[in-house]
Amino acid sequence: MNSVASALPLRVSIFDYGAGNLHSLIKAIEAGGASVTVNVDPVAAVANTDALILPGVGAFAPAAERLAPGLIAMRTALLGGLPALGICLGMQLLFDASDEGPGSGLGIVPGRVTRLAAERVPQIGWNHLDEVHDPLLQAAALNVAYYANSFVCRPTSDGAPFVTAWSEHEGDRFAAAVRRGNVVGTQFHPEKSSAPGVAFVKGFLDFASSVATHNRSSV
Amino acid sequence: MLTRRVIVCLDVKGGRVVKGVNFVGLRDVGDPVSLSERYELEGADEITFLDISASAEERATLLDVARRTAERLFIPLTIGGGVRTADDVARALRAGADKVSVNSAAVTNPEMLTAAADRFGAQCVVASIDAKKNADGVYKVWVKGGREETPLEAVAWAQECVARGAGEILLTSIDRDGARIGYDLEITRAVAEAVHVPVIASGGAGNAQHLVDAVQQAHADAVLVAGILHDGLTTVHALKQVMRDAGLLVRETAGVAGVSE
Repeated sequence: MNSVASALPLRVSIFDYGAGNLHSLIKAIEAGGASVTVNVDPVAAVANTDALILPGVGAFAPAAERLAPGLIAMRTALLGGLPALGICLGMQLLFDASDEGPGSGLGIVPGRVTRLAAERVPQIGWNHLDEVHDPLLQAAALNVAYYANSFVCRPTSDGAPFVTAWSEHEGDRFAAAVRRGNVVGTQFHPEKSSAPGVAFVKGFLDFASSVATHNRSSV
Repeated sequence: MLTRRVIVCLDVKGGRVVKGVNFVGLRDVGDPVSLSERYELEGADEITFLDISASAEERATLLDVARRTAERLFIPLTIGGGVRTADDVARALRAGADKVSVNSAAVTNPEMLTAAADRFGAQCVVASIDAKKNADGVYKVWVKGGREETPLEAVAWAQECVARGAGEILLTSIDRDGARIGYDLEITRAVAEAVHVPVIASGGAGNAQHLVDAVQQAHADAVLVAGILHDGLTTVHALKQVMRDAGLLVRETAGVAGVSE
């Protein structure tokens, strides 16, 4: 059973909030051999899948509105161990709420999303990561990553331990990446961060595969 | 801290990369997909495709090129040229663009900048401004590929674009385009000091020192380079090495075979 289970392709679900370009993200995931489904329904997005991707383009309010009917289902799945990767807005949705607009996030990491306190906003370009301690980031040697954002995540003191990398823009220091259990978030765009970013996405998918294999063999 | 970006611009017409001087005199320099991949390997921080054709059929061709490029490119891709409405922005984003630059249409219909920013976020809306100094020393905005002068003054127009939702300014000097005598530092500095979004200097790069000057003297956040790369006069890697030696923060890349560290 175990060998059959591990031979199945990884099932990756992308929760589509309807705003953005999922094209290169899908290609990056499929390049790793995974099968991708795109779901506009948040409940369907966490059903019958091995990993969830919360993609990076869009605004908080419309995304939270799409999320609302399935917020509890998604939160339960993520806290129950479903591997998830939230990118940019997708990481912001892991938090409680945002100044960008109304609506509730998933509340996986305690904290709020607020505007970058800098003169040049949006932050567009490649920025350094420091205090990196997520093994997936370390393994990919992802030290400089591509950002395109006006808002950033501010964990509360309870949320701060989940921060796995920091960046700074014009003196404003913010969470570059978070991890709680099997849920990973990046404020930057790994799928746009060239070879190290692609290696990080692949590392996440390999991690999700190992979780899936473990779950299937232990059923 | 953010690094200074080197953006490689590919003028695309009929599915091919072309290069002109002062916006005219086009010649073929290669395939956009493979050139983009090569520049990513060399250390380019972003790629920009400018559709310099005017026909609807060729626009469809460009979106197809963008789609094929986005499948293989893992750095940001900007598409510009012929973008008239927020729906055009949507089409470009769906084809795989991360940002869309708007030029003439922003002048005739500035509301479309706001419409696009509201739908997709300011970070993907680039206001592309072609500027040319007139006899009185005033920089005016030109549209339609540099063929038509407008009454707009470049700095004031840049400020209005940002107020209406643009998240970035791509500032091209028409006089310097393809001339390889350096960026127009005067107008670049004036715009960079007048707006609070990143400004990309464009038009006139002839050597690495020109890039350094645009950043250090004119406060550009990023520099756009085209002809000197397409002609093989230098590489992105070599340009960034000079920027690094000048004390600028640039993204380190492993480099490619045949290019020494």
